[in-house]
Amino acid sequence: MKLHPALKRWESVLALLLIAEILLFGAINPVFLQPSMLLYATSDFIHVGITALALTLVIITGGIDLSLGSVMGLSAITLGILWVGGVDIWVAAVAALAVGTLGGVFNAVAIHLSKVNPLVITLGTGFLFGGAALVLSGLAGATGYEGISNFDPAFVNLANLEVLGLPLPFALFLALTVGFMALLHRTRFGRYVYLIGQNPRAAAYAGTPVFRTLVVAYALTSLMAALSGLILASYFGSARSDFGTTALMPAITAVVLGGTSIYGGSGTILGTARAALLVGYLQTGLQLVGVSSHVSSALSGGLLVIVVALRSLSEMGRVWFQHRRVLRNVAAE
Amino acid sequence: MAGTSPTDQRTPLVEARQVWKFFGSIAVLRGVDLTLRPGEVHALLGGNGAGKSTLMKMIAGLHRLDRGELLVCGEDASAMTPVTARQAGIHLVPQEPMLFPSLSVEENVLMHVPGNRKELRARLETMIAEIGAGMTLSTQAGQLEVADQQMVEILRGLIRDARILILDEPTSALTPREVGKLFARIRALTAQGVGIFFISHKLGEIREIADIVSILRDGQVVLAGPPKSFTDAEIVAAMTHVEGKEGFTLGRVGAPVERGDERLRVEGLAGEGFADVTFSLHAGEILGLAGVVGSGRTELAETIYGIRPAARGRILVDGKPLTGHGPRQSLDAGVVYLPEDRQVSGLFVNAPLVWNASALVLHRGQEWLPLARERADFAEQVKLLGIVCANADQPVRTLSGGNQQKVLLAKCLAAGPRVLILDEPTRGVDVAVRADIYRLIDRLAGEGLAILLISSDHEEVERLSHRVLVMNHGYPGGLLEGSDITINAIARLSFGVGAKMDAAQ
Amino acid sequence: MIIRFLQRHREASVALIIVFLFAVLGLVDHSYLSLDTVLLVYGNSLILFVLAIGATMVMATHGLDVSVGSIMGLAAVVAGLLMNAGWGLPASIGAALLVGLLCGLFNGVLVSLLKVSAIVATLGTLGLYRGFVYLLSGGSWIEGLPENFKALTKAGSLGLSPVAWLVLVLLIVAHLGLRYTAFGRSMFAVGDNREGARLIGIRVNEVQIVAYGLNGLLAALAGVIFASQIGFIPNTAGTGMEMRAIASSVLGGVSLLGGTGTVLGAALGAYFMTSIDSVLVLLRLEAYWNDIIAGAILLVVLITDGKIREAVDRLLRYQKYRKFIDPQAAAQHGDAAKAATRPLKTALETSEARK
Repeated sequence: MKLHPALKRWESVLALLLIAEILLFGAINPVFLQPSMLLYATSDFIHVGITALALTLVIITGGIDLSLGSVMGLSAITLGILWVGGVDIWVAAVAALAVGTLGGVFNAVAIHLSKVNPLVITLGTGFLFGGAALVLSGLAGATGYEGISNFDPAFVNLANLEVLGLPLPFALFLALTVGFMALLHRTRFGRYVYLIGQNPRAAAYAGTPVFRTLVVAYALTSLMAALSGLILASYFGSARSDFGTTALMPAITAVVLGGTSIYGGSGTILGTARAALLVGYLQTGLQLVGVSSHVSSALSGGLLVIVVALRSLSEMGRVWFQHRRVLRNVAAE
Repeated sequence: MAGTSPTDQRTPLVEARQVWKFFGSIAVLRGVDLTLRPGEVHALLGGNGAGKSTLMKMIAGLHRLDRGELLVCGEDASAMTPVTARQAGIHLVPQEPMLFPSLSVEENVLMHVPGNRKELRARLETMIAEIGAGMTLSTQAGQLEVADQQMVEILRGLIRDARILILDEPTSALTPREVGKLFARIRALTAQGVGIFFISHKLGEIREIADIVSILRDGQVVLAGPPKSFTDAEIVAAMTHVEGKEGFTLGRVGAPVERGDERLRVEGLAGEGFADVTFSLHAGEILGLAGVVGSGRTELAETIYGIRPAARGRILVDGKPLTGHGPRQSLDAGVVYLPEDRQVSGLFVNAPLVWNASALVLHRGQEWLPLARERADFAEQVKLLGIVCANADQPVRTLSGGNQQKVLLAKCLAAGPRVLILDEPTRGVDVAVRADIYRLIDRLAGEGLAILLISSDHEEVERLSHRVLVMNHGYPGGLLEGSDITINAIARLSFGVGAKMDAAQ
Repeated sequence: MIIRFLQRHREASVALIIVFLFAVLGLVDHSYLSLDTVLLVYGNSLILFVLAIGATMVMATHGLDVSVGSIMGLAAVVAGLLMNAGWGLPASIGAALLVGLLCGLFNGVLVSLLKVSAIVATLGTLGLYRGFVYLLSGGSWIEGLPENFKALTKAGSLGLSPVAWLVLVLLIVAHLGLRYTAFGRSMFAVGDNREGARLIGIRVNEVQIVAYGLNGLLAALAGVIFASQIGFIPNTAGTGMEMRAIASSVLGGVSLLGGTGTVLGAALGAYFMTSIDSVLVLLRLEAYWNDIIAGAILLVVLITDGKIREAVDRLLRYQKYRKFIDPQAAAQHGDAAKAATRPLKTALETSEARK
C-alpha cells in the first residue's frame, strides 16, 4: 500500500524528529539512551498512544470522541467493582472491555439518531460515562478519587511482564499499531473510513454503509480506551474513576500531530503511533533534564500549535504559488 | 429605456476592461469587456460556467481580478473588497440567497446598514407592503420560501440605496405577478439613475426589461448590444454554440442500431421537484433529458437512483420494480448514476485515483481489499478511457477537469451498469476530452448499454440522443424523436415554448 | 402552532425542557424554588456564567474554545502573583484580564487568519497556557491572597457579593449586546453564513478574532473570581471548566454550528448545571451522581432537540416540494406552469414575425 506522498513525507519528518529528540535528550543526560530507560519510560504514556491509534479512525471519518477519557475511568472502575464483588479478575477484565465497547456503540447510535455534531454528543456521553464511573466507585464505597486496589497480583504484574524483551504494554502498542495499520489500509472497512471522511456525500452516492462503519470506528475507539484503563489499573495497582481525564487531550494531539486532518479524510496509523511516541518522550525527556512535567505539557501544546499553523501556512503558500504560476504562464502566452 | 439615452454621456458606473480570472489553473473569465451606465439595465446571458456569476462577484468585491482593469464610477477598483464595494454603492443579490437562516427578516435586511433603526424599520415595512411580499419583519429567514428569500436579498439592496444593483437570476423562483412588481421597482430605480446588472435565463424577461444584453460563453463576451437587435434564434445560438466544433470527428448519432429490451421504465413518477414523468429506456438507446437548470432533471435522476424519495409512480428495472431503494440497491440492480457536480457528490478529490475508480464495487468484494486487482482494473480503465495521469496513487484534485471526469466515468463503468444515468457528463471539460466522452457514450450504447443523458448543452443532447425528453418547470415539456431533434426544438421546449412553434416554422 | 414557534426559536425547545425540569423539581420540593436556594445556586454558578457568556460568543461565530480552563488558571496565577508582590487590587486584576485578552486574541488569530481548525488550535493553547501557569507559579500553590480580594466574593448587599452583582450586570449587558448591537449581530451572522456575512461587508476575520479575544477576557475574569472564592490558587485552577462551559451553552440552546443561541439560554444552562448539586441534596443522593445526571440530561436535551429539528426540516422539505408531491397541488400547478409560459411565447412569436 503506497501512501499519499505528502503524508509519507510527514511520517518521515516525525521519525526524524523522534530520533533527533532521543539523541538530544541523550546528549543532555546519557541515562536517556539506555534501552531499558527508553522502553520502560513508555509505560507512563503508552495508554495515550493505544487510544490514539483507534481515535485516528474516528477522526478520519470526520468525527471525534471526547468521551474516551471517561471510558478509561469507567473500564477501570468496572474491573474494580467486579473484583471487589468477588468476580474472577480475568472475567472482570473482559466485562470491563465489553462495557467500553458498548459505550462506543452508544456514541455512534446517539450521533446517528440525533444527527447532532459528534463533538457535542461525545461531550455529553463523556459526562455520562465519567459520571457512571463516579457513581460506581461511590457505590463501592471508594468515594471520591481514592480508587479500588488490592487486585489479584497476577493482574498487577501484567504491566511489568516482558514480551520478547519489551514491557507488555509497549509490546501491545506495537502489535496494535500493526493491527490497526492492516485494518485501516488493507481492509474494506478501512477504505470506507477514508471515503466517508473525504466526502460523506459522495460516499452516500456510492452506497457506502455509513452507519455500520461509524459504529465499528467508535466501538473500537472505546474498546481501546477501555483497554488503556485496564493497563493503567495494572500499572498503578489500583482503579480510579479519573484515570482518563488527562489522557483525552494528549490523544487528540497525537492524532493531529501524526498528520490526520481534524476535518477528516486523511491520516495514517503510523503517523499517529510516531507522534504518540514523540510527544510521550518529549514529556519524559524534559522531566529527565529537570523540567517539570507541567511545563513539558506546555511544550507539547506549543508544538501542536506551531505544527498545525505551519502546515496551514504552507498550504496557503502552495495555493498562492500555484496561482502565481498560472498567471505567469498566461502572461507568457 | 433604449440604449441610446442621454445618460450615455455620463461616466459609466462600472467599466470592466479585458478582465481575467483564474480558479486554480482554469480561466473562468478571459478578457471580458463590460460597461454599465447610470439608469441602464444590463442583462447578462449565458450557460452554466460561462462566467456570469464570477464576473458579478468580482464587481461586488468577492473575487479579485487577476488581470485587466475594473473601474467603478471612473475610479480604479481592482483591489476592491466587499467592504469597499459596499461603500461604492454596489449591492449583489446572489443567485442562491445568502441569508442568515437563523435571523429574522428584519435582522437580515438591516444587518450592517447604517442609520436610525426606527426609520429603517418603517421604510422596510413600506417596501414590503409595496412589493406585496407575504412575510413579516419577524419571520425567520430560514423558514421563508425561496422566492421570499430572494425578495429579502433584493430588499437588502433597496434599503441601502445602492447605485449599482446586481441581480443574479432574481426571477428564477418568483411567480409572474412578483416578477411584474420587481420589474416596476427596477424601472423606478433606473429612473433615479441606478444601474442594474440583470442575470436571467429567460429571454422574454430580458426583452422586457433590459437596455443592453451581453452574452457570455466560456468566459468571454460573444455577443453584446440592445436585445431588440437580435432574434431569439441568434441569442440561443450564441449561448449554445460549441467552440472548436471542427475538433470533433464524431458525426451526429443516427437512429439506434437496434433497440433492445426495455431496461428502465418510469411510470407517472413524482418527487422532490418534478411530477408526472413517464418514459422507457431500452438497451442500446440514448435518451436525452433536456431542460434548463432547475427544471427537475437532476431531482428525477436522483430519485431513480434512490438518493431522494419518490412520492408517486413506479420505477422498473428489467421489468422488476425498484421501490424504497437506496444507492446500494440501485447499484445491485445495475442502475449507475454519474452525478452532475463531480467535486461535490461524485469524486473523493483528495483520495488516490484508484480508490475513486473502485468506490462503487467495494461492497461486492471481500473484506480484505484485493489491492493488486484493484490496481490492475484501474490500469485497464486508464487505457480504455485514455486517462492522463502519472500514477494510480495521485489524488484526483491534481488532474485536469477533463481527466477528473474520466475518472468519474471509470468509477461508474467499473460497477458494470445495465442502465447508466449521465448527469452533465461534459461539464467543465475541454474540447478534446469532450470528443472522447462523446465517442465513449456512443460506443457504450452500441454495446447495448441503456443511457439516460442529462445535459444543459442542447447541442450535446441533439448530437448524442436517439430520443429527447425535455423537462419544463418539473413537468415533461415534450418528447422529440428522429429528425424532430434539433437544437432549436430542444431550446424552445426547455424555455417553455410549445412544440407548435416548430411545426409553424 | 408549536412547530411554528420552534421554527422561529431554535433554542426554545431546549429552554422548554429546562423549564419543565425546574418545574418538576419545584413540585418535588418547594424549597428548591425559594429565594435562598436560587441565590445559593446563583452564587455557585458565577464562574460558569462568565464562561458561558464567552462560549456563547465564540460558538455564535461557529467556533469553539477548549483553552478557557487554562486561561482561567493563567489569569488567576497572574493576579495572585502580582497581588502577593504588592500590586494593588485593580492593577493586578487588570493585568490578569489583559493576559486573558491576549490569550484569547491569539486563539482568534490562529483560527481566523491561520485557518487552523478551532478545536485543534485551542487544544494546543490549552496545553500551552497551562504550561505558563506552572512556569509562573513554579509548580506551587499561591496562597495568602489579600483579604480585600477575597471579600469581593463574600456576600454583601441583598445577599449578593460585589462580584455577583458584576456578573448580573455582565449577563444583562452581554445578552442585550449580542442581540441588539451591530457587533453582536455580526457575530451570529459570521457563524450563520460566513460567505453571506462577507457579502454584506462584515469583516469576518476581525469579528472572529474579537469574539475569541472577549472570550479570553471573560475566562480571565472567571479565573479571578475563582481565586477570590477559594482564597488560594492551585495549579490546576480551571481544569475541565471548558467542557462545563461548552455543555452549559449547548444545554442552553447555543448551536455548535454557529448562528444561534442567546446569553440568557446559556446562563440558564449554566444555572441548571450548577443546580444539579442542590437537586442531589433534595433527592438525598450523594454528590457523585452529579456528572451522570448532567450527562444524561445533556444527551436527552440534545437528542430531543435533534429529533425536533429533523421533524421541522422534514415539514419544510415537504412544503418546498408540495406542489409536486401532493397530487392535488400537482395537478393545479401543472396548469399554472403552462400559463406562465405564455408571455414568453408571445415574445418569441413577435420576434419570429419580425424576422
